[in-house]
Formats: sequence, C-alpha cells, structure tokens
Amino acid sequence: MKQRIVVLGGDGFIGRAVVSALDDSGWAAPVVAGRRARSGSERVEGVVVDATDAKALGLALRGADGVVNCLAGPPAAMIAAAENLFASVVDIPVVHLSSMAVYGSATGIVDETAPLRADLGPYSEAKLRAETVAAAYPRAIILRPGCVYGPASAQWTERIARLLQARRIGDLGAGGDGCSNLVHVADLAGAVLAALRTPAAQGHRYNLAMANAPLWNDYFFLFARALGAVPIARLSQRRLVIEGKILAPPLKIAEIIAGKAGFKAIVPPPIPPSLLRLWRQEIRLSAAKAERELSLEWTDLSRGLADAAAWIKAAS
Amino acid sequence: MILDSYDLPDGFDLDAEICIVGAGAVGIAVALSLIDSGQRVLLLEAGGFEPDPETQSLYAGQVDDGGLHPPPDHYRERRFGGSTTIWGGRTMPFDAIDFEPRPYVEHSGWPIGPESLRPFYAHATRLCEAGDHAFTIESAFDGPRRPMIDGFASDHFTTNTLERFSCPTDFGRRYRHKLEAAKDLRVLLHANVVSLIRSESGTAIRCLKVRTLRGTGGLVSAGRIVLALGGLETARLLLASQVGTRYDVVGRYYMCHLAGTIGTLRFSGPAASVWNGYDVADDGTYCRRRLALRPETQRELGIGNFVARLHHPRIPDPRHHNGILSALYLAKPLIPYEYRKRLHGNDAASFGIWVRHVINVVTDLPETLRFMLHFLRYRRLSERKFPSIVIRSKANYFSLDFHAEQVPDPASRVYLIDETDQLGMKRIGIDWRYGAKDVETVSRSLALLAEDIASSGVGRFDYDPASVEYEMTRYGAYGGHHIGTARMGCDPATSVVDTDCRVHEISNLYVAGSAVFPTSSQANPTLTAVALALRLATHLKEGDS
Repeated sequence: MKQRIVVLGGDGFIGRAVVSALDDSGWAAPVVAGRRARSGSERVEGVVVDATDAKALGLALRGADGVVNCLAGPPAAMIAAAENLFASVVDIPVVHLSSMAVYGSATGIVDETAPLRADLGPYSEAKLRAETVAAAYPRAIILRPGCVYGPASAQWTERIARLLQARRIGDLGAGGDGCSNLVHVADLAGAVLAALRTPAAQGHRYNLAMANAPLWNDYFFLFARALGAVPIARLSQRRLVIEGKILAPPLKIAEIIAGKAGFKAIVPPPIPPSLLRLWRQEIRLSAAKAERELSLEWTDLSRGLADAAAWIKAAS
Repeated sequence: MILDSYDLPDGFDLDAEICIVGAGAVGIAVALSLIDSGQRVLLLEAGGFEPDPETQSLYAGQVDDGGLHPPPDHYRERRFGGSTTIWGGRTMPFDAIDFEPRPYVEHSGWPIGPESLRPFYAHATRLCEAGDHAFTIESAFDGPRRPMIDGFASDHFTTNTLERFSCPTDFGRRYRHKLEAAKDLRVLLHANVVSLIRSESGTAIRCLKVRTLRGTGGLVSAGRIVLALGGLETARLLLASQVGTRYDVVGRYYMCHLAGTIGTLRFSGPAASVWNGYDVADDGTYCRRRLALRPETQRELGIGNFVARLHHPRIPDPRHHNGILSALYLAKPLIPYEYRKRLHGNDAASFGIWVRHVINVVTDLPETLRFMLHFLRYRRLSERKFPSIVIRSKANYFSLDFHAEQVPDPASRVYLIDETDQLGMKRIGIDWRYGAKDVETVSRSLALLAEDIASSGVGRFDYDPASVEYEMTRYGAYGGHHIGTARMGCDPATSVVDTDCRVHEISNLYVAGSAVFPTSSQANPTLTAVALALRLATHLKEGDS
C-alpha cells in the first residue's frame, strides 16, 4: 500500500519536483495541494486548498500518511500556513522546508547547531517563525536548503541566466566572494523522500547544500560557460551599488506591474540590495549531517549546470 | 580586524603567533592563507588605505647611476595593497629552465624545482585575478585561435605561450573585506618596522621595533615573522638590523629585468596574417602571445631567458604617422611617471616634433577617436582593464618589445647609506649593474629572431646590432621588479634563506617575495612571488600541525 503524502505547494517549483520524486519512488502516492493544484499527471491526485484557511487545510490533510510543506508566499501567509498545518496534523511525519535564511547574517562554516539570527528582513524572520512552529511538532523533519537551482528554478537559474546573458553579473570581485550553497532541485526532492522514509530523522533539522558548493563568482562563470554567455564581464563595486540602489527599485515596480499584466518576462530582473548582500556573505552550510543520516549524494555541478542551461535554451 | 597604530598609546606591546610585515601582494597572500588556520596573525603595514607622501618618502634613497635605475621611491608603494596599487597586472609563471643550475649562467640554480611551486600557481593566478592557470594558447582556449604570425616556424622561438593580465587587482582593495572579517587576524596600519631585535642567544628574533610618523611606537613579539616587504625594503631592514648578514649576501645579486624596444618588423603578408592583440579567455582575462626563446636554444647558445612581443613603433618619432601614438605623445603630462618613461623616452621634444604629432592626430582623426573611445570604455571605465596600447598596423609594421632575464651578480646590490629617514632608519643606495652575459642574451636572441623571420619567408626584422646595449639600457633597469636581494640557497655563504624561505641563521624569521628568487627568469615576478608566498604559508601551517 502506497503512502498518501500530501505536498503543500505541490504546484510550485520545488513542490513539483518533490511530487515527481515521490511518484517515481513507487513508495508514495503524492497528492498535490495548492491554490491551483494541477498535478500535471493523470496518476497524481490534486486538491485545491488555501493553506491559510485552517478548516480547508484540515480537510485536505484527512487520510494523509505524511505531509511535505513546500509552501512559499508572503511572510504572513507562510507563518499562517505553518500554524494551520501543525495544528491539524496528528502523529504523521511532516517534512517542513525551511531555509538557510534562518541563520541570517552568520558567516563561516554553519551546521545545524549554529544560532538562528533571522536578521535579514521579513523573509528570514517569517522562515524562522514558521520553523519554530514546526519544531514544536515531534514528528517534524526540518530541511534548511541553501539556494535551490536547476530546471524551472526562477530565482537561481532563470534569473541568473538572464543577468549573465545581459552581462549585468559575471565576475563580481569581492561582491561574489560568498559561497553559493547551491542545492540541485532533484537533490532537494531526494532529501524530502529520504526524510519521509527515515523515522530516525523525525525531530531533526538538516542543512542541505552540495558538498564544495562553488563561490558565487565561480557559479556565475561556470553557468555562463554552460550558457555560452562568455567571456563574462567583470563588474565594479560601483556598478553593483548602482544596480542595488538606483536600478532595483523601479525594476521591481515594473516587474510587479508586468507580472499582474502577464508580461513578467519582458522586464529585466532587478538586483535588490538583499541579493548583493547574499553574494558577499561568506556563509558555508555544512550538510554533513544530512549526508550521513539521510544518505544523500549531490548532483555533480557540471551536470546540474548542463541541465539548467539546456532548460534555459529550451525555454527561450 | 583592522587597527591603526595612530590609535594605540605610545609604547604599545603587541604579540601574535605569526607576524607578517608588509601588506602587499605577498603579505596579503600569506595572511589570507592563514585565515582559519588556528594561528593568531598580525599583519603590519607601514602605510594606510590612501597614498601619503610623507609615508612614501620613507622609501627615498640614492641611486649610484641615475640613468640606470629609477629612484627607490618610484615603482613601489608604501601603503595597504603595496605596489599592487599601481602594477600593470602582467602575470606568467617561471619556466622550468629558470630553476636549473645552468653552467653558462653564473650563480644560477634554485635549491627547489618547479614541481615545488606547481601546486601553488593555480591559487596564485586566482588571487591575482588572472583567470585559469593556463599559459599556452592551446590550454587556455577550447578552439583554435588565429596564429600570432601566420607562416612563422622556428626551431628557436615558440609563439604559443601566454601572458595573462590581472585586472590589475589591487590586493588591498580586493581582499580588505576578508582581512577585516577574519577571526584571529589583525592588520595594523601605519606601523613602520624599523628594526628586528634578536633574542639573547642571537638565533631568533625576539621582537620587532615599530615606529609611527606621529612619534609613537611600540614592540611586536611573534613566534614567527614573515618579511613581505619587496626586494628593496627586505634588504634594508635586514641590513639595518644586521640580521642574516654574516656572509655579506643580503642586498647583493640584485636583479631587475632588461627590457627595451628595438628595430622594425615588416611582415610581407596581409595585416590579417599577424595578430598582435589580445585573446580574451572565457573568464574575461586578457591573454597575449609572445615570442619566447626555447629552453633548448638557451642551453645550446649558453644565454639567459628571453621573450619578445610585437609592439607599436616608437612613440616620440612622428614618422610613424599614427594619430593614436601621436595623441599619446601629446598626452604625456597626463600619464603617470611609471608608464610615461617607457612610452615616451627621454628625448628632448622640439616644437617641430610637437607640430608633427599634432598633424598626425588631425590626419588620422577617425582612427584616433575610435581608439580614445575604446580606451575610455575598456580601460578607464572598466574594472578589468584593457592592458596596453595595441595598434593594428595596416602596413604590418611593428617594433619589437623584449624582456630578458638578468643574470645574478654579487656586485649588483642594494646597500645602506649614512643618510637616515624621519624614523631614524638608514636609507638605501642602489648600485644596479648589468653584465656582458645580459647583453649577450639580448643580442643573440635578436639576431636569431631576425634570421628566423627571414628564413620563414614571413617578412624581415631590421635593427642595428650596435645599438642593442644602448636600447636595452635606454630606460635603465626595468622598473618595479626588485629581485634577488635575499636569495634562496642551501649554502649560507652564498644565500640568505633556505628552501623554506627561512633566514639561515635565525630560527623564526622568513622572507617572502621576489627578494628570495635566486634568478630572475623572463617572467614578471608577481605571480611567482605570490605562489612562493602560498608555499610558505603552507609550511607555516604544517609546521605546527
């Protein structure tokens, strides 16, 4: 009998990868639960649910053998959904996707015992609040991925590709000295499956980032090479400041307007100051615990970049 | 953490496990390598973040023959980042032959082989921001590139080796944030080390005496000390402290490079058959090929290492009829001293010459404007700067720019003079000398090149063999390459440091940088100095493990 695993946010970027990994495993019968709830497959069931509605969520979770929380969204919605989720579930495993953002501005090698600062604004605060709710539930497995890349990743693949192709990023000098903490979306989905199938993982937290993740500068260079967007440009710190302080606000507004009108793709992506800060932040997630206890292996970077570049080429 | 000596009380007393003196390319490379090593590190820098004439004047000294060597306070910078704040960025590794004892080059031979630097070169190239450690056209580029000189084949010269260019990276500006953020590492600015003080036994350095230009000072004691002061100041501090000086080797064997521009190269093929420009690697670094004398030819002829590049005609001579070169001539007052000298020479400018340059600019206006826009966009406004002036000659007409090894000579030296600086430290005198072997290296290489160009049927190279010595010393020793004054070797009678870069007679004093090179190669020294610094840092870390 297959395990009925409800994937909240199963219609989003990470959720879709989790659903397909669960479906492929033969062990689980995933259920896509989300605002749109298109599963994309005839075999996979879909449930339309707004997770900020406690009652509706409770109904959607009925009969579940496990839950994966991949919900993204505005900070308040993320917190509300987590509160509703952990109020509804009883004695089933729940994989809660948190983020490295809970470590805030920490630097150096960071493992799961590091203090949680969440001092990088509303997103990191919301992630920490949601995680705190999850941590009170004894059968929760909390995953803290770094930057999730791969086909269909809007943030760390598509946006980066567009910026590289426009030569708006490349070699950022000191501005790209931070560690990317990349994790391939397939590896994240694999970690979710392993977490569900490893009872000993319940009640634990796991960092997820590929071993020897490249520095941002190296990621940009290697990805640019995979995309054929070479030679890469060297950007001055002055240029990056102009991007963050002068260009980013109007581009963000244009992006929101275009998004509402359905033309998001035509607006050049903004590079907000938070992103510039992340690219400098010398934080390296240690995922040794996940490697050990969840028996994870990481997609080789060159293969991951080749997949990502192929997806970009196909999408354009 | 970055501290300023000006904020410390007079008579301060600091200590560290490792003290590095000098925050230039080499000192910063050592410091970066020691981050998170568990060692408490103190990096002393004589200057601050900005250039300061008073600090810079501490470098002043005397030159025995002012025509042969620039003044000692030129081509080097006493400030955070050191001379990388003004360098040109040319990087290339030493060749294997440079490490060999060569019977025809007196005092040659390194006590370590190229294999001992090989593990460090890639990291060094990266720190210099010169891209991948790939220094041949085949290894640096995926597909075939256009030949440097189509049809040129020579048993004596290769055309596939590269020089790669750093941004050029100011190590201070580039890596300051890492030094600031590092735990267990302090940088102390405005800290001039004026003396090394020995322990009672005399076999170790007990502490360093530090002075500031505001009249304060203090002591720094450290388990181990690394001098990363450059080739001139290393000799000065050792001589002033009488450390490592037992056999009178410190300051001797002083080498720069021998460089010049000579002759006229005319290629018979179309302009497209010759490529004297840059190839841009995927990582954005500018790479350029040169004519390099093969090692077997060096051995066969018994001469030193030598490279040459295709160069534009001499700028001061308006007969080149090139608007760009004339514009550069007219812009002379705007160009910094370090670059002006070789661009313009010492020729006295007459009004007639000046008018002819103006005419060149006017008659070649579209090309001149195109060049200026390119220069503005890709050099002035770029972070990775277009490295040099490259003129595509429609007539396939060039001069030859050469850069040759200088052989070590104990009579060529840096010494102390009686005059002292503001901090009471004796200033240096420079008696730089070149010898017959150096002239022979350049003369024979040029003659061979002329023969090979003619015999390949690609064109001709005309020059006056009688002018070789004049041209190779026209601007004196190549500026900024200060090599050999604390050379590495196994015998304390003929060297200052051992194979670990430790001063023979002192158990805890190390020298990093080009001062320890026993020979000078054809290569610019920065990359190898950084690689050697990384090797030393590894030794310092492993020594304690």
